[in-house]
Amino acid sequence: MKRRLFAGMMPKVAAIMLASAGLSAAQARDLVVAQGIDVPGFDIHNHSTTAVEAIFVNIFDYLVMRDGKGDLQPALATSWEQVSDTAMRFKLREGVLFHNGKELKAEDVKFSIERPALDKNVMQNSFYNTIKEVEIVNDREVIIHTKGPDPILLNRLSRIGSGIVPKHYVDEVGWNGFATRPIGSGPFKFVEWKRDDRVVMEAFDKHWRGRPVWDKLIHRTIPEDSTRVGELLSGGVDIATNIPSQDVERVNSSGKAVTKPWQSFRVMTLFANMKEGSPLADPRVREAVDLAIDEKALIDTAMSGLGVPVRGSVAPGLSAVPMDLHNTYLYDPDRAVKLLTDAGYGPGQLSIKLQGPSGRYALDVEMMEVIAVMLEAVGIKVEIEALEWSAYQSRIWEPNKIEGLALIGHSNSLQDGFHAVQRARCGYEFSKKTGWCDKRFDELVNQSAVTVDPKKRDEYLSEAFHRLTDSRSILFLFQVQNIIGINRAVAWDPSPDEQLWMFDAKPASN
Amino acid sequence: MINYVIWRILQMIPILLGVTLIVFVLLRVSGDPVLLMLGEDAQPEQIEALRLALGLNKPLYQQYLMYMADLLTGDFGNSLRYNGQPALQVVLERLPATASLAATGLLFAVVISLPAGIVAALKQHRMADHIASSFSILGQAMPNFWLGIMLILIFAVTLGWFPVSGSDKPLSVVLPGLTLGSGLAAMLTRMLRSSLLEVMQQDYIRTARAKGLSQSTIIVRHALRNAALSYLTVIGLEASALMAGAVVTEQVFAWPGIGLLAIQAINSRDMAVVQTIVILSSVIVMSMNLIVDILYSVVDPRIQHG
Repeated sequence: MKRRLFAGMMPKVAAIMLASAGLSAAQARDLVVAQGIDVPGFDIHNHSTTAVEAIFVNIFDYLVMRDGKGDLQPALATSWEQVSDTAMRFKLREGVLFHNGKELKAEDVKFSIERPALDKNVMQNSFYNTIKEVEIVNDREVIIHTKGPDPILLNRLSRIGSGIVPKHYVDEVGWNGFATRPIGSGPFKFVEWKRDDRVVMEAFDKHWRGRPVWDKLIHRTIPEDSTRVGELLSGGVDIATNIPSQDVERVNSSGKAVTKPWQSFRVMTLFANMKEGSPLADPRVREAVDLAIDEKALIDTAMSGLGVPVRGSVAPGLSAVPMDLHNTYLYDPDRAVKLLTDAGYGPGQLSIKLQGPSGRYALDVEMMEVIAVMLEAVGIKVEIEALEWSAYQSRIWEPNKIEGLALIGHSNSLQDGFHAVQRARCGYEFSKKTGWCDKRFDELVNQSAVTVDPKKRDEYLSEAFHRLTDSRSILFLFQVQNIIGINRAVAWDPSPDEQLWMFDAKPASN
Repeated sequence: MINYVIWRILQMIPILLGVTLIVFVLLRVSGDPVLLMLGEDAQPEQIEALRLALGLNKPLYQQYLMYMADLLTGDFGNSLRYNGQPALQVVLERLPATASLAATGLLFAVVISLPAGIVAALKQHRMADHIASSFSILGQAMPNFWLGIMLILIFAVTLGWFPVSGSDKPLSVVLPGLTLGSGLAAMLTRMLRSSLLEVMQQDYIRTARAKGLSQSTIIVRHALRNAALSYLTVIGLEASALMAGAVVTEQVFAWPGIGLLAIQAINSRDMAVVQTIVILSSVIVMSMNLIVDILYSVVDPRIQHG
């Protein structure tokens, strides 16, 4: 009997041992992620960089979060409903703990959301100032009141600066203290930050989604691209962002890591100075420039094939954008020559300055060189001016500083069509740069900002997008595609919102 | 001697004033930190508010006077990039990393150049000399950037002997140290070779030989000691340059020292941090120069400072 019992137990014991061996094998590893930049500290409302939020997302939780496809999913909020045009009710998840063991309650949500909404001195204020108040219904329920109808409130609550922090802790240590020793309720808790070197996080056992499979998550700052690739190939890091296109083959043939395309919402554009006196004030000249640039060839030559041609700030995963402007471009050099002739410019008679940054975007100078060749092919003389980023940015920010064409890439942290075009309204940043002002466009964009009905909103924004594209005040080139390198021992798929959400990363099964 | 040291320290003050003025003006005319901080989504009113908060709307001379007044009270300003943390603290916490890297670079330079320089001088125009001289030319010609990447490729990625980057493992310092020290090693080898060759022609060396002293005694006790002056000068001056100029090496190896901080601070126009680094570097360079001058009189009693 004893013997039979023992024999019966053996497979179970073996199974438990094997299971625990498998578990420990899975957990015995640290996950190391490398990017080119460091965090500025952990004051979540005082930064403006997607790549920084990509680290924060592992420490802090949000009311709603995007999944791998870019769709909004419940997170700290289990459900939400629009109670009026200007109010949305959120039910909060029960039993969520901060890393110090305190329970997350409605007062933490109020505290975290109202700071960027009401404090004009924090960097994220402009994205949250549509919010008037966060009303606490009870510990598990809040109502967010907005100043007017806000169709993209959920977009705001799932992006940079919408992490929920513990009020009691910030009250105790202040934001300066919080900036160096943060506490959140995310799957990893903060351990150490060594500036320009690493942020060390460890698994939070009591996270509401369950414990992450990694013991430690280490984010390393490695500014040099080739060094980041070297670390990936030597196994020093498991995931490395922004792999240069020339290293893709080397990484994939190493047998140690693979590269995956990493869609970005960034769209590269040329801003045209169409103010009085500029040759680009003539719509025929702008059209000629548009038709002279072969976006597909530009992507294939300068960008090693990484990118998708577009005719507007559109990308899959963005809401309320007309996707007929995606994966399309116009190229007709013969018509470009004719348009220039009609505008009074024979071959070589038109000179345009092409300004751009050097080293801000991947292969930016190469991009400008290819564009210059294309424009010269239709008889436009091009003078390239490539400047270091801060000098360039200072130059193009001021009105009237864009002399001819300026290379600019814009991302879309709100992941919505409104944000892509709102700055082209009269008097706003894009309009100041180009000199383009269209009352109908302004009406459409303003309507979209307060229209809650998604269908109507899509219609307004679609017309606005097409008016902007047709104006050619901004010439849209292509949607940027980055490359991320991943160790073969790690199973993880990058998401289109550029967040490095490592709770989903698992040890590869093979 | 003490008067001389005090005089030299007093001389540093106008130099430091000049340095602060130049770096202050250059930083402010070359780019706008507010736009970089707020990013491309910034609203015009936010930009104005931040400019006002940072005092950037005031005339340049007023900004400078305010900065100098703060500096005299030991306030180096706050880092823009690091959410307003004190710039001096941000810079000083990087000093140990850069100091250890510079020390390793210096050690490599001395360990390589001392035997190489001696051998090259003793075996003049022979194979050993040609090899040492070729390597020293190569060492000076190779940019640190390229050498660093090559060392990473060979010794870290392919052979796996050393970590690729970072500073957390004991062996992490080897490749960046070698990269940083290579140029100096080359320079010191050539310097030592030519000094030794010159010294070896002197009468007292012939006398020493005539006395029947062994070759090693002649070199160590007579030749090397006399050739050491220029060698020490270069080490002294270059040690401070290593400290202040590890920019490229730190960037390549993601070594979290002052050089990497400097690049990041310049790129983000983190003015207080850049100013603090420049002031600190100037003090280091001037102090090292002073120490070298004092050491002269120790090595060569004929030199007197008074």
